Amino acid sequence: MNWLDRFLAGLLFGLAFLFITAAVHIISVLAMRDIIDKDVFDRLSSVAHPVHLTLLPPPQPGHEFIPFEDPALVQGVCLYDLSHGPLRLHADVEAGQLLTLSFRPRSAQVFYAITDSAAQHGKIDAVILTPTQLEDVEADDDDDDETPQDLRVVAPESKGFVLISALAGFPSERPEAEARIKSVTCDIAQQ
Amino acid sequence: MPTFVKTLLLLLAGTAVGLCVTLVTLERGVDFNAIKAGPWVAFPKNGTADSDPYSRAILMRSGEIPLATSEGLSFIARRDSAGAPFTPGCDYNLQGQIPQARYWTLTLLSPKGFLIDTGTGNGADYGIESGEERHGFTSTEILRNNNGDFVITLSRHARPGNWLPLGQSSFVLLLRLYDTELGAMTSALNDRNMPKVVKGGCT
Repeated sequence: MNWLDRFLAGLLFGLAFLFITAAVHIISVLAMRDIIDKDVFDRLSSVAHPVHLTLLPPPQPGHEFIPFEDPALVQGVCLYDLSHGPLRLHADVEAGQLLTLSFRPRSAQVFYAITDSAAQHGKIDAVILTPTQLEDVEADDDDDDETPQDLRVVAPESKGFVLISALAGFPSERPEAEARIKSVTCDIAQQ
Repeated sequence: MPTFVKTLLLLLAGTAVGLCVTLVTLERGVDFNAIKAGPWVAFPKNGTADSDPYSRAILMRSGEIPLATSEGLSFIARRDSAGAPFTPGCDYNLQGQIPQARYWTLTLLSPKGFLIDTGTGNGADYGIESGEERHGFTSTEILRNNNGDFVITLSRHARPGNWLPLGQSSFVLLLRLYDTELGAMTSALNDRNMPKVVKGGCT
């Protein structure tokens, strides 16, 4: 039965090969985060200083920064590192003018977003915290007996960024859109 | 061949092929959770917790920042309505319906997602401030005719009306709908309620 032995051995190797291929493929897809050397947060860190709002440069031909940007948008970022404390954000919202805030970890996936349509009384106040920081704040609330006035957003990781976008319908509206973005303030909440 | 060598070769071959499969799938892109309407494709789950591992890996490699669901929805067209890949030497007319959104923008980009230098920056052509190239249109600035319809002409040569200059290199079109209620109704999208991109004459 020599041919049967060889056939079975060949089959075994074939299956082992497929198994290894599949395993390497699946692991490399799931571990992409660890394989790439620069994620979105790193790219943004090269142009933005930590915590406070930085206006992002508009996309230009020949200057490849972040792909698939919309040149009609004016955007700013607040980079945060919650190991230094929660990030507090305040935005004044002009009625009828599109302003969006999206909260993201390092990899730019969205964990929370809010637009001007949801603003209360023409402003948005938010705090980004770790789960532990949220517990501390809620404990303080119980002590103070006050109702919280701001949106509390729990971040999945300690580092990330808030992306703030405004639309300039005409190129001439860019300076106004920039002013709207620059009116957003981010700082570290004092604990 | 001793078994040890065979096993080692097996491991190396498996690893090499596995990595190749990863590279090819990520380069080609995947269709999971894609919404297609005519030549337009959207990935509404990109950037959300519901996205599949392939889409996440693709986004991490490209480094792009996907729109949040409440920010809007982004559609990409890499081919015209007849299914032919875009050629920069040809004219294209974009017209038709655009789904309801607070604002929309249409942007011309390279296939990798960057702005193209079309060499029109020094023109005093209609709609372009001198020194500024046009890379797209917004719903606010688009010129419409009496019943609210519009046509956007993509061409290397200056055209009257809404002219979007093409360069020498291949391109893709991004249609972004901002602050749209569309999220729940994306299954209703088809080529009739999205704009058509029709090829015109070629040089």
